Amino acid sequence: MVDTSLQKPWRHDVPSALVVVLVAIPLCVGIALASGAPLTAGLLSGVIGGMVVGSLSSSNVMVSGPAAGLVAIVGAGIISLGSLRAFSAAVVMAGVLQLVLSALKVGNVGYFFPRAVIRGMVAAIGVILVLKQIPHAVGFDVGYVGDESFRQANAETTFSTLGLMLDAVHPGAVLVTLTTLAVLIGWNRWRPWRTVPVVPAAILAALVGVVVSMLLPTLSPSLALDSSHLVQLPSSLSSTEWRELLRGPDWSALMRRETWGLALTLALVASLETLLSLEASDQLDPQKRPSDPNRELLAQGAGNLVAGLVGGLPISGVIVRSAANIDAGAVTRRSTVLHGVLLLIAVLTLPLVLNLVPLSVVAAILLFTGFKLASPSVLRTLWNAGRAQFIPFAVTLVAIVLTDLLIGVTIGFGVAVFFILSEHLRQPALRQVSGHGAVLTRFELPDQATFLNKANLERTLDALPAGSRVEIDGRHTMRFDLDVLQQLHEFTETARRRDIDYRLVGIPATVASPLHTF
Amino acid sequence: MQNYLDLFRQNRAWAERIRETDPSYFERRAASQEPHFFMIGCCDSRVPTEVLTGAKPGEIFTHRNIANQADPTDMNMLSALEYAVQVLDVRHVVVCGHYNCGGVKAAMSPPGRMLVDHWLQVVRDVQLRHLTELDALPTEQQQFSRLVELNVLEQVFQLSRTPIVRNSWLKGRRPILHGIVYDVNDGLLKEVVSGVDGEDRALELRATVAREIVTVPPTLHKADAI
Repeated sequence: MVDTSLQKPWRHDVPSALVVVLVAIPLCVGIALASGAPLTAGLLSGVIGGMVVGSLSSSNVMVSGPAAGLVAIVGAGIISLGSLRAFSAAVVMAGVLQLVLSALKVGNVGYFFPRAVIRGMVAAIGVILVLKQIPHAVGFDVGYVGDESFRQANAETTFSTLGLMLDAVHPGAVLVTLTTLAVLIGWNRWRPWRTVPVVPAAILAALVGVVVSMLLPTLSPSLALDSSHLVQLPSSLSSTEWRELLRGPDWSALMRRETWGLALTLALVASLETLLSLEASDQLDPQKRPSDPNRELLAQGAGNLVAGLVGGLPISGVIVRSAANIDAGAVTRRSTVLHGVLLLIAVLTLPLVLNLVPLSVVAAILLFTGFKLASPSVLRTLWNAGRAQFIPFAVTLVAIVLTDLLIGVTIGFGVAVFFILSEHLRQPALRQVSGHGAVLTRFELPDQATFLNKANLERTLDALPAGSRVEIDGRHTMRFDLDVLQQLHEFTETARRRDIDYRLVGIPATVASPLHTF
Repeated sequence: MQNYLDLFRQNRAWAERIRETDPSYFERRAASQEPHFFMIGCCDSRVPTEVLTGAKPGEIFTHRNIANQADPTDMNMLSALEYAVQVLDVRHVVVCGHYNCGGVKAAMSPPGRMLVDHWLQVVRDVQLRHLTELDALPTEQQQFSRLVELNVLEQVFQLSRTPIVRNSWLKGRRPILHGIVYDVNDGLLKEVVSGVDGEDRALELRATVAREIVTVPPTLHKADAI
């Protein structure tokens, strides 16, 4: 089959944008709610994340918008600065700082995230999506949609919510979820109308879900879903709200120290989450197109600058929406930009229509996305890649599910670094180049003779039999640690005592001991 | 020794003699060799280097060919040299010629039609380069003996140019190259050159072996003259 996706990107990007909007609306609203900000602020950020960041980004598939990972900082920030307008000034400054980070090429740290950690993070988000959406799927809509931390704002944890949910199962919501899931799975597996090219399963499933939920009351009044189980979009803004928005940030907040502290925290955390999401979405992209992390920070900075100016929540790259975008077949960043445009149109014109969508429909779509992110085949691939890949992956996964994204990634990063270092330690410090039984045993040092080689080097040197002839060749070594040099030269004395003919070749002298000559 | 079976009789006697003086000799030697010398000698049956130096088995690593040549394109010699230098870590590499060498004699005579006449080309070049010195000698026997020595000198120089030896020198003053001649008349060794242990000594040697090379600008044909 010829891949036509790049020739006619619109055919793929329009449907995927529709899916992302469907997922983004409850997420934006949920995150705004959890942050203690007006719902409009969350939706505005979604619009800016799509239109501004999307058009400046170099990533083809990543979606940006208000992020669950920033909720705690935003909530505390608004309270400590006293007003949303003061907070907006901090968001503007965070955007400026991100532009500076981009200019300083700080985005390059994105190249150092170990692959196993990124995959662990993606799988963890999949697991979180599944665990957090199950309550919504059965009509237990207590936590906000899009929460990603283990300890929730309502003093419950992921698991305790699952326990509470059992007493509050809403049969109507379950019915809607099951229908939606059936369409999602069925459409992908059987594709009854293969000639109908690009109706994404999620759109069709959502339509079916909405229709089912509207038919529920006719079946039995007890099955009916009231407004608490539906998407809740604020209806059009009143003129006072518009005026409030147009007043812009409260610049006087910049005179206060905590505004700058908050701006710095926001800039760093949002940048880090963005770089992690960028790496993850690059890996999830079926075409594996790499993105420029510094260009991404520029786009994010511009996004936050604009978001702050219009009173929106801070923005970062987000994995769930990106995964939904990729899943729905997005090919270029037109999908991201279009999702911003559609979000704007939807908020301005269609609140009543969108408010018909049950949360369980969104939950079903997210369950499906989550399952794909953490599918058994991902586990199998990592398991087969060996211990050094699987353990950092698994630790990252579990740590993120039980804490939150940044703490989990930090733990996973530590474990991955430990494995990288221990791999280095196992690597032989000296490579024997002479054949077995040679009178002269010749060794070559590796390209980099670092302190990591020390223990191994010590062991090899100690194992040399008395009376043997040994040559250590450092002519191909590009970099010597002073530690290793001293160790090699200090062995000269031991060698003399043990009657070892010990020759160093191409190994620079240290100040402590001059180059050994014959 | 004429009978083929003599080889085995003599060998048994020899092995017993060794075992009498040193019972564990063969057990020790079987495991490995650790010679300090690599000798390039002539095939001539009168010049078995181990016998005439009284060396025991395991003390000299040997390569022999007609007129003890160290040809830099001879894979046979180079393989032995590389093994001796890199694996056995020999201290000395010795080229051992001998007076009354049939190979050198053949090189001085008009060429025949055998393979050896090709092999001896290097010796003829040596003769050509030292023609003045050789012609000054009164008798043909003296010229013959001098060419034997000059040939040894040339072979030591050739060894000093091989990448095997030069790479080893880069790492330290090892191996040391020597050139010696065995006198079949009195059974004694005589030094021609010794102690070549680095690039500077090799350059001195170059001055000796290349002393008589005269460069004459070639006469060019003009295009219109052809």
